[in-house]
Amino acid sequence: MSTDAPVQAPAGTRRLTHMEAVVEAIALEMRRDPRVFLIGQDIGPFGGSMQGSKGLYGEFGPERVLEAPISESAMVGSALGAALFGCRPIVEVSFGEFLPAAMNQLINQAPNLHYMTGGAARVPVVIRTRVGDGPYGGHPQDYVSWFAHVPGLKVVTPATPADAKGLMLSAIRDDNPVLFVEPMSLSHARRAEVPAGDNVIPIGSASLARSGRDVTLVVWGSTRPLALQAAATLANEGVEVEVIDLRSLAPWDTVTVIESTRRTRRLVIAHETWVTGGFGAEVAATVAGTMPRVELVAPIARVGAAAVPIPSGSLRARALPTSAQIMAAVRCTLEAGTS
Amino acid sequence: MTDARDLFRWMVVARTLGTTLCTLNVRWFPVEGEEAVHVGTFADLRPDDAAAPHYRDPFVVYLMRGAELWRLVAQVLGKSAGYNKGRSVAFNGPFHLNIVPWVAGDLGTTIGTATGAALAFKQQRSDRVCVCSFGDGTANRGDFHENINLAAVWRLPIVYVCQNNGWAISQRADSYLPAPIAARAAGYGIPGRTVDGQDVEAVRAGVAEAIDRARRGEGPTLVDALTYRRRGHWAGHIVSDADRAGVVQRDPIDVLRGRLLERGLATEPEIDQVHKRAADEVAAAVERANTAADVSDVELGLDDVFA
Repeated sequence: MSTDAPVQAPAGTRRLTHMEAVVEAIALEMRRDPRVFLIGQDIGPFGGSMQGSKGLYGEFGPERVLEAPISESAMVGSALGAALFGCRPIVEVSFGEFLPAAMNQLINQAPNLHYMTGGAARVPVVIRTRVGDGPYGGHPQDYVSWFAHVPGLKVVTPATPADAKGLMLSAIRDDNPVLFVEPMSLSHARRAEVPAGDNVIPIGSASLARSGRDVTLVVWGSTRPLALQAAATLANEGVEVEVIDLRSLAPWDTVTVIESTRRTRRLVIAHETWVTGGFGAEVAATVAGTMPRVELVAPIARVGAAAVPIPSGSLRARALPTSAQIMAAVRCTLEAGTS
Repeated sequence: MTDARDLFRWMVVARTLGTTLCTLNVRWFPVEGEEAVHVGTFADLRPDDAAAPHYRDPFVVYLMRGAELWRLVAQVLGKSAGYNKGRSVAFNGPFHLNIVPWVAGDLGTTIGTATGAALAFKQQRSDRVCVCSFGDGTANRGDFHENINLAAVWRLPIVYVCQNNGWAISQRADSYLPAPIAARAAGYGIPGRTVDGQDVEAVRAGVAEAIDRARRGEGPTLVDALTYRRRGHWAGHIVSDADRAGVVQRDPIDVLRGRLLERGLATEPEIDQVHKRAADEVAAAVERANTAADVSDVELGLDDVFA
């Protein structure tokens, strides 16, 4: 497919990569709703960073696929303003490392506009970005936890192609600002089945990636495949791990996590970002503080990146969480629970 | 059509209201001396255009667009009758009047949202425009550069007006402005002009030309309106006489008053009447706002964070 060819809903197999699924969702919504348009860098004939907007320029042209200067604050700010006055923009911030350049708009404006106008204003904006380690090695820092801290922003981070499409459809249709985070390591990963049409996935709902009775393992984004790999290995040892993919960090599915943990009485949380102040801390604190109490039989374990700025090159693998670390954490909770 | 007498009346309302609000709330930002920029900048917008006025007591702009005086006063007093349920900074306006919201105390972000209003109008193929004003302090935020550049590239229907009062809180402009604001326009390939911010008719004429240009689809303009902050940054902030040394202050109300008399557009008694009417209106508004209910848990709105 050439970079400016129209996006076709792929026929037959419906097996898409994560990135293709996101692009399909955007294309579907742009066809359905003329108020939707895209702002970003390199999203024209080039097809977007990591082919993230491939085909959209060819189908919708420069009036709805707006190539912007390298000005993230103006991109997000102008999208918020356009949303205030009747549009539904999607802003593509090429990489999560660039979000801090738009922080004032993301933190001081986006979450506040509805509430601070007494409910009068609405800002249906999607801010789409890519985080973490990826196939090209650049821009690995994962700052997503910051954004779940602020009331008024929604944060989603799908880990499968079907979830990516379904959550992008929800994000575009939402009347609130939504940060849509694509784990870079999964962008061009293995294809998977994606339903055609409107497979909307509600924001705030977790998915059960694997059932198990022994340990609850909460993950999102790039750690989902690591967790499933760990669970498969542990299953050979007779340990049944229940893997919950949060999919949304704000709002997040407390009910599913608490219900699972009540059954397993053991909780491990794994994410690509750092442990300190990472969103795993919120999950742990929520479960630990729930009334009536979740009767845990082992301390809650968290797995995340080493407490260093994520390094480049071959050093990086030593900083990022691994399937082996997740397995070790699971075993720890099992041992603690039996001693 | 707004004529010079209307401009005069609005400036008197702004002065009277602002002076009163400063006595009610020492944290209010005094507009005194800068009324001509607010009034002249927003005089020629249509109701369906978007207005993003500078935060320094923009209430006169809201009034010109149809806001109720007593409800604005209620905002400054923290009452539930304010337009935004007491949730935002008091200078935030009523959104339904196409006023770009002030939802945080950071500066420069409204240059972004105002630019977005212009982007919406362009995407919608409408002939609506946006006018956005900000201070000379704010003009050093990155958002100034990013958004004017973006608006120039995309030829957005917007007018940027710097309400240049020579101060950023306690700092004089020579500590943060190495060159005239209007000169920056050349770097973006857009027209830049300087207007006398103490002359409401000059401000109006300069901005009106830029509005026409924006409405014709010819893109943004940067207008630098030179004015002077006569009081402190906030009502309780005292600026010493030494700080004002060497500054020639012209009162924008006196400037237009002289012209109205000269042109035979008003008599002394009529001008006195304008002042009296403004004083009466403000007094009535304060009385009504004072008796309004304070905010409660209803306004806290735990279920109103998301639309």
